[in-house]
Amino acid sequence: MTRKSLIISPELCIGCRGCQTACKGWNQLPATKTVNKGTAENPPDLTPNLYNKIRYVEIPSASNPVRWLFVSQRCMHCDDAGCMKICPAPGALFKTEEGAVAFNKDKCIGCKLCVSGCPFNIPRYDEKDKISKCHLCSDRIAEGLAPACAKTCPTGAIAYGDRDTMIGKAQSAGYQKLYGEADLGGLGILYAFKDAPRVYGMDEHPAIPEAVVFWHKTLKPLAYWGLGGAVAVSLLHYIAFGSKKDEEEVKKDE
Amino acid sequence: MSNNMVKKANAFEIMNHWALAISFFILVISGFGFLFHLEQLNSVFGSFSQMRDIHNWAGVVFAVSLFFTIFNYLPLALSISGDDITWIFKGGGYFSKKAAVPPQDRLNTGQKLFYIFILLAGMAISASGFVIWLMPEVKKWIYLSFLAHNIGFDLMVIAIPLHIYLGTLANPGTFRIMVYGTVPIEWAKKRHAKWVQKMGI
Repeated sequence: MTRKSLIISPELCIGCRGCQTACKGWNQLPATKTVNKGTAENPPDLTPNLYNKIRYVEIPSASNPVRWLFVSQRCMHCDDAGCMKICPAPGALFKTEEGAVAFNKDKCIGCKLCVSGCPFNIPRYDEKDKISKCHLCSDRIAEGLAPACAKTCPTGAIAYGDRDTMIGKAQSAGYQKLYGEADLGGLGILYAFKDAPRVYGMDEHPAIPEAVVFWHKTLKPLAYWGLGGAVAVSLLHYIAFGSKKDEEEVKKDE
Repeated sequence: MSNNMVKKANAFEIMNHWALAISFFILVISGFGFLFHLEQLNSVFGSFSQMRDIHNWAGVVFAVSLFFTIFNYLPLALSISGDDITWIFKGGGYFSKKAAVPPQDRLNTGQKLFYIFILLAGMAISASGFVIWLMPEVKKWIYLSFLAHNIGFDLMVIAIPLHIYLGTLANPGTFRIMVYGTVPIEWAKKRHAKWVQKMGI
């Protein structure tokens, strides 16, 4: 199975938030009463019932007094996913054949460590303390359908397809480098940015927190090497020196 | 107690030690389960959710037991003298077949140092465990605690097998202290001369 991905082009997005609604529809997530805060960004943040949110960035300048950027914010489906590294419960987070980072609430133990492992601040927890986030409509894409957000997007701002093919197309359309092409082993969500990532509210160089990397690469293997080593050293010592003997016994031996 | 035996550990100390030991084994086994996704442990713990609860509550038992060890060992462990320094330079006599180390108190130098180590590592691993359990949303605390918890874990799985070896195979006659609390006077005179002298036997 080839890796699938979304390419998100903020410049094509008109901020209709049809993707937010379609996502809720497919994933059967309840609507939440929202408050008008004078911005198109609504609700203000991802919630356990909101897997995908349009971030609204307004950048007025002298040459362009009206520059609105709409950026879909959601799980980035990292190839090298920090959440999966840190998760202590097998099967709670898993990779699908299409490269989506999906979850199984029945296996989730509610420790919330994935929140600290994620470089993008994505995982949220529902009222039962189970993980909740975008899973790239893993149930749809397994059947060859596009994710609900991409399916409903009227402008092509969210495009879905084979990752490599899509990257090729974007390159021929003039995008030298997509955001997320190489970060974290390659992200499953790619952005066609026309400006620096921070303009769109994204990290220039997203990375798994160093504490998590150090733990995974060094402390984790040290646990079994350390345990095995301590047992081996004890046995070797016993073979070399044996039990502690008292002076009389030592004399007796001689 | 027969006349040729002497009491080295009281009932409180023995029970305290076993509470610490049993909770430690539960914590380490489930800890390895979490680290390496050992689904085989489901046959023991039921599920990873239950293993999490058991791990957390065993941690409470461990932390409380660790606190009570302070009364049993800390003042003695901190009383380091010249004899202890000599003991260290002689490697506790463990690296020579002709053991000759300075006279020892109720705890020997190795036991004193081991206790201080366990107290510090145990406090770090307990405190960080409570942070991971109770404050999972505070990221900067989680990173620090996650490192402390895992470094503490590595140190413990190295130190405890050595402790078990030293308390059984390496020093015959020692393990009974954690079962009966008593040792033969003759044995005590050889291993803990300073302590026997203090008691005036």
